[in-house]
Amino acid sequence: MSRALQSTAVPQSAALRSFAAQWQARSADSLSPVREQAMQRFLKLGLPSLRDETWRYTDLRSLAAQSFVDAPRTTRGQIEPYAPLALLGETDRAASLLMVNGYPTLPVAEGLVNGIEIKSLREVSRLDPNTLLRFLEPLSDADQQRWALLNTALFVDGLYLKITARVPMPLIILHVATADGANNIAYPRVIIEAAPGSSATIIEHHVAQGEHAPLNNSNTHIALGQDAQLEHYRVYATGAAATHLDSLNIRQDQGSQCKQFTIVLGGGLVRTALEAHLEKPGASLDSYSLLVGHEDRHVDCVNIVTHGAPDTRSNQTARAIASDASRVIFNSKVIVNAGAVHAQSQQSCRGLLLSPTAEIDTRPQLEIHADEVKCAHGATTGRLDPDMLFYMLSRGLDRDTAQSLLVYAFLADVLTGMSVASARAAIENALISQLPDSQTLRKFR
Amino acid sequence: MLKITDLSARVAGKDILKGVNLEVRAGEVHAIMGPNGSGKSTLAQVLAGREDYEVTGGSVTFDGRDLLALPAEERARAGLFLGFQYPVEIPGVNNVYLLKAALNAKRKAAGEPEVDAYDFLNLIRQKMKFMQMSESFLTRGVNEGFSGGEKKRNEVLQMLVLEPRLAILDETDSGLDIDALKVVSAGVNSLRDPKRAVVLVTHYQRLLDYIVPDQVHVLSGGRIMKSGDRSLAQELERRGYDWVSQSQVA
Repeated sequence: MSRALQSTAVPQSAALRSFAAQWQARSADSLSPVREQAMQRFLKLGLPSLRDETWRYTDLRSLAAQSFVDAPRTTRGQIEPYAPLALLGETDRAASLLMVNGYPTLPVAEGLVNGIEIKSLREVSRLDPNTLLRFLEPLSDADQQRWALLNTALFVDGLYLKITARVPMPLIILHVATADGANNIAYPRVIIEAAPGSSATIIEHHVAQGEHAPLNNSNTHIALGQDAQLEHYRVYATGAAATHLDSLNIRQDQGSQCKQFTIVLGGGLVRTALEAHLEKPGASLDSYSLLVGHEDRHVDCVNIVTHGAPDTRSNQTARAIASDASRVIFNSKVIVNAGAVHAQSQQSCRGLLLSPTAEIDTRPQLEIHADEVKCAHGATTGRLDPDMLFYMLSRGLDRDTAQSLLVYAFLADVLTGMSVASARAAIENALISQLPDSQTLRKFR
Repeated sequence: MLKITDLSARVAGKDILKGVNLEVRAGEVHAIMGPNGSGKSTLAQVLAGREDYEVTGGSVTFDGRDLLALPAEERARAGLFLGFQYPVEIPGVNNVYLLKAALNAKRKAAGEPEVDAYDFLNLIRQKMKFMQMSESFLTRGVNEGFSGGEKKRNEVLQMLVLEPRLAILDETDSGLDIDALKVVSAGVNSLRDPKRAVVLVTHYQRLLDYIVPDQVHVLSGGRIMKSGDRSLAQELERRGYDWVSQSQVA
């Protein structure tokens, strides 16, 4: 089949031209028609800009001048052990899968996790393309989905997980991002389908390895069947040079329950988008965001939750911390569609500024088209409470210890929601190492 | 032990303390009484090292050291303890953690090893029993959801664990019912010994029925207007604070 793009899309920037070149170099597969549409749309819409609603605080102009090439499929040398951030606790049993720049290291051992079918997206696209198409379509022109379009067009492989039973053991997907040089781009894609009545915990853990980090355009789709339960984590622990643009899409059927944690501990520029659709009655979503900015890093988190049916419930808890000259943005929107009566939603966002040059922007929004709904939102940003600080100092605690304890306490609402003890411990550990006086703090846990 | 000389302080641009003089020796219990707004709490907070309270004149020595030169945490480690009038709630920071960190900070400053976790828990349990506090205290955040009385008991519990050389208790009696007052007073009395001193800041004479002071001072308008023995408190109770300010004018 022809790989040439229609003339309607004339790439305007070096970045767009390089994406078009990647497209032309891809071999055709069963998904080509939808991929082509996605590519055309992306090229037509272009990179998101500050004029786009969900990109008001994140300037990507520096990307436009770069020409991107595919990141390698394997790491050079051994995979580093990532001991300090490994989410595999000593005591909790967990299974893990490795992906390098989105390429899974399959085949996995048969029965790695009882109750979860694990396949590569390549395999699924060959044997059962319709399953994949259910997740790739419909394409969206919404600006929060812009990078998802590009991912749909250009991902080569990825993971498909089908949860078919109640699975007690957490599954960890370790995403390693690595680059041959500057201007690499990776398109990790994960699809998680939870069959009716199933339950599982899946942790996506993003780390980077090596001198260069690729531009990481990752995408995860989750579909929960009736009464399915899923606890999903996405954890970002990459270096200061890394740019990560992640999209997460969740669709929930009747009575399903999703607990989602977005934990940003690292990365130079991390943008996370969550789009959740509570499509059937009784679906409920608890979303927790823990956003930590330090040095001159930039963290931009966008959540858009749509209540599409009666008796749906969503709860968003975000805690943002910004120190040094970092900037953290939390943008959340709850939409209650017409007919979604008795929907309940809560948005609680609190920001903590630890330096005069740091910035936190929060924008909780509500868009309600139905009657008899219960929606609340609140956002506050401030500094450490001087009364609390003085109380602790007056008991003889070091200033660093006192401040760290207060920061830690500030995050407690998110941490206590985690039901995987080892994940919580690892995330706490990683958080603590970023706080002053981490040695003392460790003893408190 | 504590010598306050001509101390003046300002809070939010307003002069509150206007030349306070006071000397407290080891083994003594002093009561500082006075009407609302007289500067009692300001004095307590200034002594504990609150940064936004600006000292505009005078000096304070504690065991011969210049107290005002030390940051709050070092004052605490040197053996000064402030029992707050309004103890702050710190959700997410566990009571026991805070207390253990406080004790270890003090021990470290004294060149002693950290307290053993097991011994520490025993110590806390013993003191909690003495203060008639419920077990749930162990798992709760600092003062989180405590009633007024529980907060005050917690202040005294902290004092008993930290064993300060000098305890300044800022209206620790306010908001307590008679049973709680007895428990709190027993806590303070258990700390009395020839090497320590206590300064009670209080509005009412009632507390002094349970903790008998060696000296009573009346603070009014940012100065100590009158000092005397225990009978001064009883006289104040009969005649009211107006009596002090009027007798000054006269």
